[in-house]
Amino acid sequence: MSELLTGAEILCRALVDAGVEVIFGYPGGAIMPFYHALPDHPRLRHILVRHEQAAAHAADGYARASGRVGVCVATSGPGATNLVTGLAAAYMDNSPVVAITGQVSRPMIGRDAFQETDIIGITLPITKQSYLVQDVTELAGVVADAIAVAREGRPGPVLIDVPKDVQNQKMDWKNPERPRDPRSRLRGQSLTPGAKPGTLGSSGSVEEGVHQAARLIKGADRPLLMVGHGVILADAYADVRALAEKTGIPVITTLLGISGFPDGHPLHLGMPGMHGEVHVNRAIQQADVIVGIGLRFDDRVTGNTASFAPQARIIHIDLDRSEIGKNVPVAVGIVGDARDITRRLVAAVEPRWCERWLEHIHGFKRPRAESYRGDLSPDAILASICEASQGDCTIVSDVGQHQMWVAKLYPYRRPNTHITSGGLGAMGFAVPAAMGVHLARPGHTVWAISGDGGFQMNMAEIATMVQEGLPVKMAVFNNGYLGMVRQWQQFFHGKRYSCTPIWSPDYVKLAERRSRPGAGGVHDRTGSQRVPDDPARGLAVGADRGGARRRARELATDVRS
Amino acid sequence: MSAPNPLLAHTVAVLLDDGLVTLNRAVGVLRRRNVPIEGLALHPSGTAGLSRLTFVLKADAATADRVAQQFHKMIGVRSVMVLADGDSTTEAAR
Repeated sequence: MSELLTGAEILCRALVDAGVEVIFGYPGGAIMPFYHALPDHPRLRHILVRHEQAAAHAADGYARASGRVGVCVATSGPGATNLVTGLAAAYMDNSPVVAITGQVSRPMIGRDAFQETDIIGITLPITKQSYLVQDVTELAGVVADAIAVAREGRPGPVLIDVPKDVQNQKMDWKNPERPRDPRSRLRGQSLTPGAKPGTLGSSGSVEEGVHQAARLIKGADRPLLMVGHGVILADAYADVRALAEKTGIPVITTLLGISGFPDGHPLHLGMPGMHGEVHVNRAIQQADVIVGIGLRFDDRVTGNTASFAPQARIIHIDLDRSEIGKNVPVAVGIVGDARDITRRLVAAVEPRWCERWLEHIHGFKRPRAESYRGDLSPDAILASICEASQGDCTIVSDVGQHQMWVAKLYPYRRPNTHITSGGLGAMGFAVPAAMGVHLARPGHTVWAISGDGGFQMNMAEIATMVQEGLPVKMAVFNNGYLGMVRQWQQFFHGKRYSCTPIWSPDYVKLAERRSRPGAGGVHDRTGSQRVPDDPARGLAVGADRGGARRRARELATDVRS
Repeated sequence: MSAPNPLLAHTVAVLLDDGLVTLNRAVGVLRRRNVPIEGLALHPSGTAGLSRLTFVLKADAATADRVAQQFHKMIGVRSVMVLADGDSTTEAAR
């Protein structure tokens, strides 16, 4: 049976067929046919954001929390350009996001029409693939392709640009024989994950690489495991833990690898790098073998690569062949899925233990500075948040000082419960991304933790959450400064605090004004009392500029309708 | 630190879909990764729907390989050949 459908209707059906349930978007001229068709597809829940950047971050958060594709929609021109930061964040952190943008009608393309931008051109370096749909017959195939490409191999964002006249174009739709994108067959080898499994610089087989790695591990006196985002993406937690426990090798988790290995495990050391723990960095500098799984040895981890881990032979396991040797020279590079390779490595290594080395590393530990202690220190605040949710929540952090506190101090026990903008470092990420995480994990407690700078970038999304009844909890570390920049000014710019003091509105009043009447309490408790452990409430935490005297404020975020 | 490896002229030939977005993305990789190229040419490959993008870069072997890998992972790229000065043609390992 065939029906005459518009491109917009086909777009909706293709999304439903692909299993999409939530769309974050904002309507506008060139995407209006899609919005006209949308109400006929109740399986697609649309979340009306207040700015398209939030749509992209929310889709990113949804994707990271669910492992499924996150979808965002915007109109042409400004709607599309507003997506850019969110797409860049998704690209840097390998998040499967599909962005659908309206475009001016085909005859108008290239004429600098109203709200025309070359969004494909603008986003080329920050997308894995992009499609300009030239005809309605391509549309369903393009959507299926885009969703597959976003998820496969090393995930990443994909953009579909749909001219308005294609959305209105009609075609005979035959179900279930979906018209395929005639170009999809040309995708050829690239459809498979970015690289074939193998080992670099040897016979090329994975077995050979695993064997070499096992030999290096056996002969090492001071080995380390470095765990990155790839472990979370590949669901390799159990295998990484098995590897650590079979060999006794201490484990470092990068910023995006946090929650890839349980905090509090006797072998867990913490985060490396510029903002990492001293004992972790000293361990790296003394290590003789480093096994890196699913990380890219980012510059915030390595610092100057010439002096990074000078004594270590590096075994690098990554799905993306182009990552191996990109930033640091490796002794053994193994291309493949983190879970698969780690599992093989567990089978190949001989049981051993590294007690003396672990003890040696713990000897590097120093007590935290005074400002880290006390009732309302970051440590205590994060412990309260953990306690309030019985340790079962997902933390979505923003970017800056608080992000590093959250990374280092929050005790992550469960896999994939720490979500942050690592590669791009996009301030404003937490609030909208947490919205996406909540939709991916309904019924689960989600905390958006921001600084006063990042919170103000996307705090308009509180209104979205009120409208949609999304009870995300928010905490603001409000110290009146753009703290991370101030910290750099303090250390590297002669304490010249240029343009970093920042005024904040009264967040509690803001929450009150934006809550629905009777939709849960808003509380303003100022003082130095302990943070209460009521899980129904969120917290806003303030500190004075010196960080010595602190004030705590509760920000009610219980916006359940 | 080991001594820097010698710079050689490497000719890189990329076989890829001839869609404009793919070609644009491919050339963008060179700019995006700040690859110092000395020439750039685009030819029909002889196979319908496929083009060959050829460029010369002066780099050590490791850099040439890194560039090749960036092309390898691009969607729409079919093969990448790297020819070092005085070398025989080899398909870049994936």
